[in-house]
Amino acid sequence: MKAQKFTLSCLAIIISLLFGALILWLMGKDPIAAYMNLLQGSGLMEKAKYAGRQSMFTDFMSFIDAMTPMIFASLSVALALKGGFFNIGVSGQMMAAGITAHILAGFIPSRILVVIAGFLAGALIGALIGWLKYRFNVSEVVSSIMLNSILMYLITFYINTFYINPVSRQSKSIVDAARLTISGFRWEKLKVDIALAFPLAIITALILQWVLNRTTYGYEVKAVGLSPRAAYYAGMNVNRTSLLTMTFSGALAGLAGVSYFCGYLAAIQPGTTPSMGFDAIAVSLLGGNNPIGCVLASFLITVISKGTVYMSSRQHIEPEIASLITAFILTFASCSAVLDRRKKK
Amino acid sequence: MAEPIVELRHITKRFPGIVANDDVSLSINKGEIFAVLGENGAGKSTLVSMLFGMYEPDEGEIFIRGKRERIDSPRYATQLSIGMVHQEFRLVSNYTVTENIILGLEPKRKFLGLLPYVDIRKANNDITELSERYGLKINPEDVIENLNVASMQKVEILKMLYREAEILIFDEPTAVLTPQEIKALLLVLDGLRDYGKTIILITHKLNEIKAIADRCAIMNRGKLVSILDVKTTSTDEMARQMVGHEISFTTEKKPAKFGDVVLKVADMSVKSITGYEAVKGASFEIHSGEVFALAGVSGNGQNELADAIAGLMPCSGGSVILNGQDITRASVREHIEAGIAYIPEDRHNVGLVLDFTLRDNFPLRQYYSPAFSSKGVISESAFNEHGQKLLERYDIRSSQGGATITRSMSGGNQQKAIIAREVDMRTPLIIFMQPTRGLDAGAVMNIHRQIVAERDRGAAVLLISLDLDEIMDCADTIGVIYNGSINKIAPASELSVDDIGLYMMGVGKTA
Repeated sequence: MKAQKFTLSCLAIIISLLFGALILWLMGKDPIAAYMNLLQGSGLMEKAKYAGRQSMFTDFMSFIDAMTPMIFASLSVALALKGGFFNIGVSGQMMAAGITAHILAGFIPSRILVVIAGFLAGALIGALIGWLKYRFNVSEVVSSIMLNSILMYLITFYINTFYINPVSRQSKSIVDAARLTISGFRWEKLKVDIALAFPLAIITALILQWVLNRTTYGYEVKAVGLSPRAAYYAGMNVNRTSLLTMTFSGALAGLAGVSYFCGYLAAIQPGTTPSMGFDAIAVSLLGGNNPIGCVLASFLITVISKGTVYMSSRQHIEPEIASLITAFILTFASCSAVLDRRKKK
Repeated sequence: MAEPIVELRHITKRFPGIVANDDVSLSINKGEIFAVLGENGAGKSTLVSMLFGMYEPDEGEIFIRGKRERIDSPRYATQLSIGMVHQEFRLVSNYTVTENIILGLEPKRKFLGLLPYVDIRKANNDITELSERYGLKINPEDVIENLNVASMQKVEILKMLYREAEILIFDEPTAVLTPQEIKALLLVLDGLRDYGKTIILITHKLNEIKAIADRCAIMNRGKLVSILDVKTTSTDEMARQMVGHEISFTTEKKPAKFGDVVLKVADMSVKSITGYEAVKGASFEIHSGEVFALAGVSGNGQNELADAIAGLMPCSGGSVILNGQDITRASVREHIEAGIAYIPEDRHNVGLVLDFTLRDNFPLRQYYSPAFSSKGVISESAFNEHGQKLLERYDIRSSQGGATITRSMSGGNQQKAIIAREVDMRTPLIIFMQPTRGLDAGAVMNIHRQIVAERDRGAAVLLISLDLDEIMDCADTIGVIYNGSINKIAPASELSVDDIGLYMMGVGKTA
């Protein structure tokens, strides 16, 4: 079962990369060189030369920095899917967590506080979606999409009114003491970005894996997600379980939000939702909605998205090619999910 | 001599793991009612599905009107004027009768000679005329979702006739009907034969065949056993050939020893999901060591009654008392803990989490208890041991033991798993809701033995079934439910099948 899922995911990746290679080749580029550039840009392969204070190690560290929020975001989607919810509102939850942490950090610059604020802000939005579902039977897909817009415009309004950096046209930056990434840390002769939230992301994935497989709560989440009527028959409190699942899913999205807006980035871009919230759906599907799988899939997708800057500069290709390959992977990963389901019937 | 209109020669069809049809040859004459008789899983449905183009045979040939045909789709079957009424109706529920019937063959007219539109008035007239000709009275403008099952079946039949089908296949048409509706349907079939239609009737009900069919093919485990002339063959002989051996219709059981009252249901009322009163003031008692069987036509409140006793639905009135404890307003979990095991009717959506492994499904109603977890952490070893124990003790067949995904198992083994799980809780009350629906004779016998064994252990058993044979076989006491009320309660020895049939129809209600 598990092995089969893994094979399907690998297949989706391989086919997508072949498609990408085909497009690169049609454009007259060398696909192998391009893919090697992706690895080089992510600090997984040695580049030909480095600028001052940079090395493969610094590239790798900023790759980790970019990957951290993706892990949280995909875990958020995965948990919701396990519990029978399609949390398409990760973006909005991320923004809500980000702005809350920004504001609080303005009063008390503390990293712990930023993490807690992000967790709680996301949890609150998640709980709202869950509550709307069981109190008024509002589809979580609809409410979370709507909340994406509501939150994005509210936050945009707030930033533009009170919190704008007139030069960058973004929000003001979070103070360094509260930022979850130590940017440009001097180590030997290098400038390294250190993602402090990365260990937390890995630990969260492990905890989530354990909770889903080894606790009664995880058992309830899966039963409710797979068959709410059987769960009810089993004497489970279906509503409470659903509400908790969405709350925790929102909380994970909140952690993604703070590690993105108060870590990888230092500021919030008004007027747009982070695309990571949607990419996370692809990542979660690719990872088979399994927490460890999510970490692996985040790694892969981040290689593509992070390495693309270097690839496009070296090969003179538009960076959108990376999004294209990611889109291919999403398509094939969801095809394999369908394939998997059809096999079971 | 009548001419054969359908001829099957050496048809073999295999599915992974089983041979559904094994070298079946038969020919069906024009204008006859040809019955195909067999137990569940004997291969009847597969055989006729090939005639309707839903599967293609692996080996063998099909001749229609003397010409060899490769029927690769229902569309082509329709062109050959073959029609089929499936067990599950295929109707668009928010369309009218007419719209459903003409779907795909709409009579068209052109507005101003240019814009085509469906001539619904002509269609309505056509359908009315068609329904009157064949005695299938129906209002063509009714919307499907407002119709009862019997009327939907009429629509399905009209759909075939509208397409000018000559060979009409009916897959278990009477399974969903009440006795009166069955009578009406048999009359319709008879009338269709008079119009020269050829009818292929799949069923496992012997008396229907006796009443109407001309000839009858008997299938057992994918093989054609024989083709009989119905007039000259007794139903006992048909039954014997169907099962392949002399069947004892009764489960052996010792005389019942009733103990104390375990379950006392007093004046219970239950509202259905849609809000009408499905159970109205039902009262009965079940003793320890008693099988109380509740008979009734489908949809007379059995589901709501069972769900309410098991705590899945709230009672709107009355009380449920288990061993002296009032559990009327208790939660589902409190019902489980009070000691009610429940084998629900819908084994796929309610009784099991199909995508769980077998091992994870066994503790479904006990996972939180100290035997399986402590402080919210599941004991994997307890799950494994429990799974292994049940697999062995109840002889559940699965390809990968406890790690088997439940969805991949056969229906019989899924039901075995549910019964194993519930029976193994050793509760004072066990509710069996339609426990043998869709299972083959061997599995049915096993489940009946289990029901009696639970009774002998001292459990109170509530058996709710639509199958009168099952009720006669297992019951110590029989209750009959009609329109949400319990119409009659009597010891099983005092009621005949005919009596029960009458009470099921509401006779004696006022007496």
